[in-house]
Amino acid sequence: MIGETLRLKVAAVADIAPGLRHVRLVAADGGKLPPAAAGAHVQLVLAGATRTHRNAYSLVSRPGARDAWEIIVRRVPTSRGGSAYVHESLQAGDVLEAGWPGNLFAPVRTARRQLMIAGGIGITPFLSYLAEFAFSGVEHALHVCCRESERHAFDPWLADRPHVAWHWDADGHRLDIPALLAAQPMGTHLYVCGPAAMNDEVLAAAAAAGWPDTHVHCEHFGSALSGGEAFRAFLARSGIEVDVAEDESLLDAIERVGVKAPCLCRGGACGVCVTPLLEGEAEHRDHVLSAEERAAGRLIMPCVSRARAGRLVLDL
Amino acid sequence: MMHSDIKSRPVYQALAPDLAGSRHLLVVEGETLVAGRLDELAGLFAPVQATLHTWLAGAATPVAGLGRLWQLESAADVVDALACASRGYGVGDRLYVQGTEPFLWSVATAAAVVGFGEKQLRLHHAGSLRRRVWCTHCHGMTEGVTTSIVACGGCGRHLLVRDHFSRRLGAFMGVMVDAEAPGEVPAIEEVFA
Ligand code: FES
Repeated sequence: MIGETLRLKVAAVADIAPGLRHVRLVAADGGKLPPAAAGAHVQLVLAGATRTHRNAYSLVSRPGARDAWEIIVRRVPTSRGGSAYVHESLQAGDVLEAGWPGNLFAPVRTARRQLMIAGGIGITPFLSYLAEFAFSGVEHALHVCCRESERHAFDPWLADRPHVAWHWDADGHRLDIPALLAAQPMGTHLYVCGPAAMNDEVLAAAAAAGWPDTHVHCEHFGSALSGGEAFRAFLARSGIEVDVAEDESLLDAIERVGVKAPCLCRGGACGVCVTPLLEGEAEHRDHVLSAEERAAGRLIMPCVSRARAGRLVLDL
Repeated sequence: MMHSDIKSRPVYQALAPDLAGSRHLLVVEGETLVAGRLDELAGLFAPVQATLHTWLAGAATPVAGLGRLWQLESAADVVDALACASRGYGVGDRLYVQGTEPFLWSVATAAAVVGFGEKQLRLHHAGSLRRRVWCTHCHGMTEGVTTSIVACGGCGRHLLVRDHFSRRLGAFMGVMVDAEAPGEVPAIEEVFA
């Protein structure tokens, strides 16, 4: 069944805070949804005003839920269009095309203790983690860094959850990451999901504290990453020239002209979309290619990466 | 006997401190110390001496430069000590062990129980090649095996000592050598002295 798409019906939309919209999705045919575990995401096809967007969202519903999936979408001012569409146009009763759920951020179930650090909307994968950990009984703690005004937006998921701490940008409320990491016992696994700068800060602090990379896990979200200057790409095998707009990813543009390209996370994290680069210089924004592979310049992740200058020729 | 086509047969490393680590624990089996080895270790670990603890198990003459030194009697004491100290360990810590294979894996399996991950651990083989053997028939352990075939300490069957190794049990696999033709036991050789 892999490769087939799902049809989901919007059962309800609700604004849980300014700029935060909660969406409940059910199977359009009234049947059951495929199961998805903690940390899973689903890719939605969103018909924007000028073009179609494909965005991946973490499922915040209870892990394994078959009756409905829930997502929370933040309105991004410089949005690729997908979040604007969800906030402006999406209504109960709409039917959406979706991919099968994927999971690039599953918790390590042999961990002694699970330590989560979320930045803003990066809390979403951890809402399903918390449900799992409450059930399995593993020791855990979630630290959320967010705007003070958004502290209570997630209460419906957190109301009866202990081990959640809130931090915001004010004296006495900031998260001291090195101190937090230093206080963790043996066998702790660390998960971080937030804006790139926060992720980088946490990863650097963990490395400085001697955490082996096997114990550190990061989910990057790519939505804000994929825009940039407009450029042209030539798809050599298909013989098609594509114009990639400023607010559009290379992958979106390839799909727009009807060329099939594999993808999973659409955020530069999974490596599924890797494409041979025949000509041109790429600006690499993914988290998959090694420094050597970047230097060699033979591969590109079109879901996030773009042209540094001039035209790219892809083997597609 | 340290090399084998059997993939599960562990491969060991030379010891050197992992400078990314925050604290360092070096555990050495005394009987595997050749002359000058402790001084050599002190030199190797000099960069992390301020955060180094060294546990010497069994007969050994301590030297300076090994951080905070502690002498223990046996592998069993090391295992107990690891378990007792468990509250104090952190994810940034590193454990280095030198010894025979039964010693290395006694410490490694105890460390895994405490929560040490694979990347926090470095094992260095030294000294005798003797093996701990796990009987696939009675599941008993036979210690200190130096021969190609050994009588199981649990059930008495003659076991052929294989290179197949269990990291969970810290032991090599032993299978009955005369299962097809009872009583026909090939010549026994001293191969893991
Ligand atoms: S789709 Fe995952 S890296 Fe591009």
